[in-house]
Amino acid sequence: MIALSGISKNFGTVKALCNARLNVQEGEIMALLGSNGSGKSTLIKTLAGLVNPNAGKIEVDGKEVEIKSSVDSHHAGIATAFQDLSLVPTMTVIDNMVLGMEPMGRFGMVDRAKSVRMVNEILDRLGVVCDINAYVQTLPTSTQSMIEVAKAVLQKPKVLLLDEVTASLHHDEIQLLFKLVSELKEQGLTIVFVTHRMGEVFQLSDRITIMRSGETVIEEETSKLTMNDIVYYMTGKKPDTQQGKKSAVEKREKELVIDVQDMSLRKIKNISMQAYKGEIIGIAGLQGQGQPEFIRTVLGLLKPEGGSIVYKGKKINYSSPANGIKDGMGFISGDRNKESIFQHRSIQENIYAGKAAIQNIFKYVKTKEIKGFSQKAIDDYNIVVGDLKDPATSLSGGNQQKLVVSRWIALAPDLLLLDDPTKGVDVHSRFEIQEMLRKSAEKGMTVIISSSENEELMEIADRIYVFYEGKISGVLSKEDMTLERIVAAQMGMTSERSEV
Amino acid sequence: MNSLKNSFMRFKRSPAFTGFVLFMIAIIMNLIIRGPGNFFGASSLGTLFAKNAPIILVTLAQAVLLITGTLDISIGIQLALVNVVVIMLPQELGMSVPVAWIFGILAALAISAVGGFLVAVLRVPSILATFALTYVIKGINVLIMNVPQGSVPKEYYGAYDTVLFGFLPVAALIIVGVLLMWMFVKRTKFGKHIYAVGANPRNAFAAGINPTKTIMKAFLFKGLITGIAGISLTLMLAAGNPLQVEGYGLRSLAACIIGGLGFGGWGSMSCAVFGAGFLVLIQNAVYYFFNFLQDILTGFQITSYWQNFISDAIVLLGLLMTTVTAKAQKETLKQGLSRQLKRGEKFAKQ
Repeated sequence: MIALSGISKNFGTVKALCNARLNVQEGEIMALLGSNGSGKSTLIKTLAGLVNPNAGKIEVDGKEVEIKSSVDSHHAGIATAFQDLSLVPTMTVIDNMVLGMEPMGRFGMVDRAKSVRMVNEILDRLGVVCDINAYVQTLPTSTQSMIEVAKAVLQKPKVLLLDEVTASLHHDEIQLLFKLVSELKEQGLTIVFVTHRMGEVFQLSDRITIMRSGETVIEEETSKLTMNDIVYYMTGKKPDTQQGKKSAVEKREKELVIDVQDMSLRKIKNISMQAYKGEIIGIAGLQGQGQPEFIRTVLGLLKPEGGSIVYKGKKINYSSPANGIKDGMGFISGDRNKESIFQHRSIQENIYAGKAAIQNIFKYVKTKEIKGFSQKAIDDYNIVVGDLKDPATSLSGGNQQKLVVSRWIALAPDLLLLDDPTKGVDVHSRFEIQEMLRKSAEKGMTVIISSSENEELMEIADRIYVFYEGKISGVLSKEDMTLERIVAAQMGMTSERSEV
Repeated sequence: MNSLKNSFMRFKRSPAFTGFVLFMIAIIMNLIIRGPGNFFGASSLGTLFAKNAPIILVTLAQAVLLITGTLDISIGIQLALVNVVVIMLPQELGMSVPVAWIFGILAALAISAVGGFLVAVLRVPSILATFALTYVIKGINVLIMNVPQGSVPKEYYGAYDTVLFGFLPVAALIIVGVLLMWMFVKRTKFGKHIYAVGANPRNAFAAGINPTKTIMKAFLFKGLITGIAGISLTLMLAAGNPLQVEGYGLRSLAACIIGGLGFGGWGSMSCAVFGAGFLVLIQNAVYYFFNFLQDILTGFQITSYWQNFISDAIVLLGLLMTTVTAKAQKETLKQGLSRQLKRGEKFAKQ
């Protein structure tokens, strides 16, 4: 039915897909698996026409087709429900669902009665209860996901792609969705779905395709694979037979820096975490399990809905990150352009920005001081720059990130929060950043680092908390830290293991 | 009764609600100052519509662009372009007036196509592109007509100022005509697509919509309304002036925002109607209020600058009020969301 071969896609220097392939037979349900950044979503977007690959061949029904836009994809009989939702939040449910394929009535007007009929029928089948005239942004995320699926089904495709649509769904909604998917399969539809929940894979899929770092590793029938095989193909390592038991947090003699109890907000449910002086805490987890929210709540960017945070012996209730920074926190974001770099300002100003933030606002700053401060940071942390006055964008991604890290480390904060700081950073710079963190930790700085790269966390962290669906599904100390245990906990296997 | 309550609740949450409240306040101010008899009198309403049809029409045109996520601040000077075209063609070439009107609309369409090309195809930010365009259009206007001049045959502007059946001003009919046109367009594919493109071009693209084409079409539709507004302006003044009403560009934007239109895919045409209505009625009320003061206070003299100052200060208050209500709307939205989420959790446990 669909055959992709030799698909490659580069985003700048990052290889998202490298000679990937995907073969789906007519009328089967294919599960597409892989860890973060393995290229599943890029592959789906290639089929949906949102990503144009650099190389490769796409065949539908044995004929080679070019998919350059979503219109081409639609013409090839492919419909996609996206993970990051393609709905327009300020439009009503009904307008969203028929968007781009409005049934036409007289005088070129959209046939409203017909749209209502179409939409109601599909929503009933999926058991979605909502006002079709409500704006999509007023609906809960789970309903939005269901509408996203319904919209794709409404296109009457030959091939249906579901990209992690179950991530925000409730249990009963998932069951309804699965029922629909099975019905569609009986009608001869071909379905490809991406998920991180292993239970779904075995319940639903006929075959499995697993990807790792942009390549397709294996295509196999589901019945021939076990859970351990899947973890093996995803990580490239044999899983540890002993399960990652929740290791008790050992009480240390050291000073407790931050103590989070039962924090909850949005996705996060009752997270507790302790960090001691000089400790590096890793936060692992798949994308969107609540890690960014957790870190930003500690900093004061988001307000917790419940629970308490005790920092340096004081209960804190920050109204803005400025309070956190004043109290000796530092924050480094992986989203450089949005949250840390001032693109058009000079390198020296970028480095000095952290210091400027904790000083008196009217303090007179000499050019010499900025220069000296930033020159020292550059020498200390080995950042490759042209001139101190060049804009920050003149640096490579890795050096930009080192610049941000040095900005904060130079201030010697008591607690440094990092949210995926090495995203899109080359291997060498990554190593240097880890080195900087380790040295600072030895001097007594506490580091909380979230990362999508498990290997990185294992190298640097003293303890790893694994997040799964807004809860902590495992705490691993240095001794029982293995890649397989982290991956298992990331998929919620500590709690869900009995089901599988 | 219940459904009435529901539809009221829905209206209360809709973006047009703030604009509606402000509009009502403006009407009440007018009623207090002038008295219901005077205000709703045919001649009073006729003058009100005849004098303000151009700004109201321009606001409607601007609203179409705001919904599509762009804007055009050269829209005011475009009215002057239409104005000089429809005055000069009969005067210099002896063309008949209705044919000149068609050329006037074509001129508005052409200049809108240029604006659309800059914004949709070349991706120049709309505020910069149309600001630059303002000066280009000014140049064109002065080339066509170097000094204010010209006239309109009496039967045309006379017809524009008439009040049909004793209550229906012709100028109001033009506005209703444009609104009907919008009602139709809103129900076409194009009408749905501008909302999608305005709110999120990427998602619109994923749904198979071509954002470039949609923005271009929106500019052309705006051009059509601008053309009609330009003709109304000409009939109202019965003369030509190459450098007038430039301020309508920003005034129409202010009216849209007061009415509750967001930038990109949020709001409806009724927002524009209420916003423009508020602007116009406040000016009207302030004007009559000063007249009233002059009547009762002997020796009270004041320039029209003070009138503008007061009415624009009230408009500023109106703008402030929209941010307050927007906050309140956000709050209700948040509450609704958390309620829904809690219900969801209950489901999950079962």
